[in-house]
Amino acid sequence: MSASSERWPLRKLIFDTLFFAYGVALFADALGAMGVSAFHFTQDDFIQNFSHYATFSLLLTGVMAIVALVANLRGWTTPGDALFASPLRKLELSARPWSRSPWLWQVVIVFTLTIVVSVRVTESSIGDLLDADGLQGAWRLWSGLSQPNFNLLPRALALAAETIFIAFLSTVLAIPAAFFLAFFAAKNLMQGPLALAVYAVLRALLNLSRSIEPLIWALIFTVWVGVGPFAGMLALTVHSIASLIKYYSEIIESVSDGPIDGIRSTGANAIQTVWYAVVPQIVLPYIAMTVYRWDTNVRMATVIGLVGGGGIGTLLIQYQGQALWPEVGCIVLVIAVIVWLMDTASAYVREALK
Amino acid sequence: MSASGSPLLNVRSLGKTYPNGTKALSDVSFSVDAGEFLVVIGLSGSGKTTLLRCLNRLVDPSYGEIDFAGRRIETLQGAEVRSVRQDMAMIFQQFNLVPRLSALTNVLTGQLAHQPTWKSLLGLHSSTEREAALEFLKLVGIADKARVRCDQLSGGQQQRVAIARALYQKPKLLLADEPVASLDPATSHSVMDYLRKANRELGITVICNLHYLSLVREYATRVIALKEGRLVFEGRPEEIDRAWFQRIYGEEARDVGIQ
Ligand SMILES: Nc1ncnc2c1ncn2[C@@H]1O[C@H](COP(=O)(O)OP(=O)(O)OP(=O)(O)O)[C@@H](O)[C@H]1O
Ligand SMILES: [Mg+2]
Repeated sequence: MSASSERWPLRKLIFDTLFFAYGVALFADALGAMGVSAFHFTQDDFIQNFSHYATFSLLLTGVMAIVALVANLRGWTTPGDALFASPLRKLELSARPWSRSPWLWQVVIVFTLTIVVSVRVTESSIGDLLDADGLQGAWRLWSGLSQPNFNLLPRALALAAETIFIAFLSTVLAIPAAFFLAFFAAKNLMQGPLALAVYAVLRALLNLSRSIEPLIWALIFTVWVGVGPFAGMLALTVHSIASLIKYYSEIIESVSDGPIDGIRSTGANAIQTVWYAVVPQIVLPYIAMTVYRWDTNVRMATVIGLVGGGGIGTLLIQYQGQALWPEVGCIVLVIAVIVWLMDTASAYVREALK
Repeated sequence: MSASGSPLLNVRSLGKTYPNGTKALSDVSFSVDAGEFLVVIGLSGSGKTTLLRCLNRLVDPSYGEIDFAGRRIETLQGAEVRSVRQDMAMIFQQFNLVPRLSALTNVLTGQLAHQPTWKSLLGLHSSTEREAALEFLKLVGIADKARVRCDQLSGGQQQRVAIARALYQKPKLLLADEPVASLDPATSHSVMDYLRKANRELGITVICNLHYLSLVREYATRVIALKEGRLVFEGRPEEIDRAWFQRIYGEEARDVGIQ
């Protein structure tokens, strides 16, 4: 066992084990892709013989754990070293020329193998791209799109307005909740054991709810309140609360301490200190981020419409389903103009608030 | 009210060890009578800031006792700490005003401790309060800047607003942590003059951290010196001769003011 005074480098060992196992598996798959029949893996094979694959993966990981351990004892440099080594070791590693760094070569090899395997898995093929039938179809679609049917313009505009209002209401509804909760998600304000516990729980919840895409929220709410703009609006509200709390709390964390000390030294209580020392520093950045969020919500509301969240996205999916390309062309044009307008307006507002 | 004869502030065996293990203050004892202008000197890192922040409890002392205005204050909590801070105003090297608020509003924050929270949230101030705050801006000579946002004022002007805010607290004691360290010499003198004015004309006791001995000689009525967190000197400013100077600041030190 390593008798050095360094802590047992567990994170490094876990990383190296997984890295090596991944690398070997990729190598086998790449061999298969190049025609070595013993390694000719397919999706069907994987699904049917899953237990074999699982057993083999575990075995491979076990073997690579031993390799990682040996590498560590022998002092070979591995990618895990580069990520998790002690500062001293990192300095030593960075002093070498890059071409003499084994860990870098390992990363390069695994990266290249990943590209090879990705090409196989995504069924990428130049042939399909240049297929005559396919090209003709694409041409038909394109010429339809480029001759928009402007009879649809009134409906497209009405539903675009719906999208903008969905985005607006979801942003506005998210503001009060996010404003209140952001203070509890800001580390510089949450000192002391109880406060830190609240902070940790809130952050965990936030990360959880932000990792659920608005598209999934929209699916949930279309079941809950039925298909339509209301479902889309609720989905965006939930997502906006989480991301506004993140923006807001980062702004609070960047607030300078001087004014806080200044106000505290007058004998002000905690609420007064936040109101007089923190709030004046954050209003403008808050407004800027909120406008940006509205802009983002307009784009997201369009996408959410595709799964029944109302607005212009719903219209788009209807006409796309019937392959009515001139109508789709009109809708796409309206979406492009609106996204561009919102983007420009919000950039302008944010610039003005700096 | 403290009984006559007992000092305004009495610090006994005060110590502070930061969570990272730094012993910023060790066993510091001194007392301050009402009306004094006490200056604290010492090398950078000797614990001057920590000392002042322990007094108004922006930092919690690790051990020791502090009597202020007849009251033991080192273990007070919550509202009682805030009432102590109300009587013990502070000004800072970096001014620590709220940059986006006007000079007048910054001065008005000096009375937050006397306001109900709901009222301060609404930003309501009576016209008498405004006039009183303006009086203090006049006292430090920048009443004409009352409506100007503090981030548009020069350093010297900001420090004067900070003094006005401190005075508007109507404190018994004023703590000044290197109030002129980021100002030029001329501005430094004008700011120090306002502190002396507060001391002499308003009868406010002052404890001030300073770097330059020339200023110490000009303004202090008494001096204490810290070295590595310990009190190594206590006396009148003119008692700091070359020998003392080198004991406080180290053998290598040169003072521009000592001849
Ligand atoms: N929040 C803190 N956490 C840990 N150590 C601190 C903290 N604040 C100050 N110290 C340390 O305590 C010691 C005294 O610092 P302090 O700021 O009181 O010195 P000072 O005399 O005011 O110095 P200066 O003249 O540079 O302002 C220093 O060694 C400093 O590094
Ligand atoms: Mg200091």
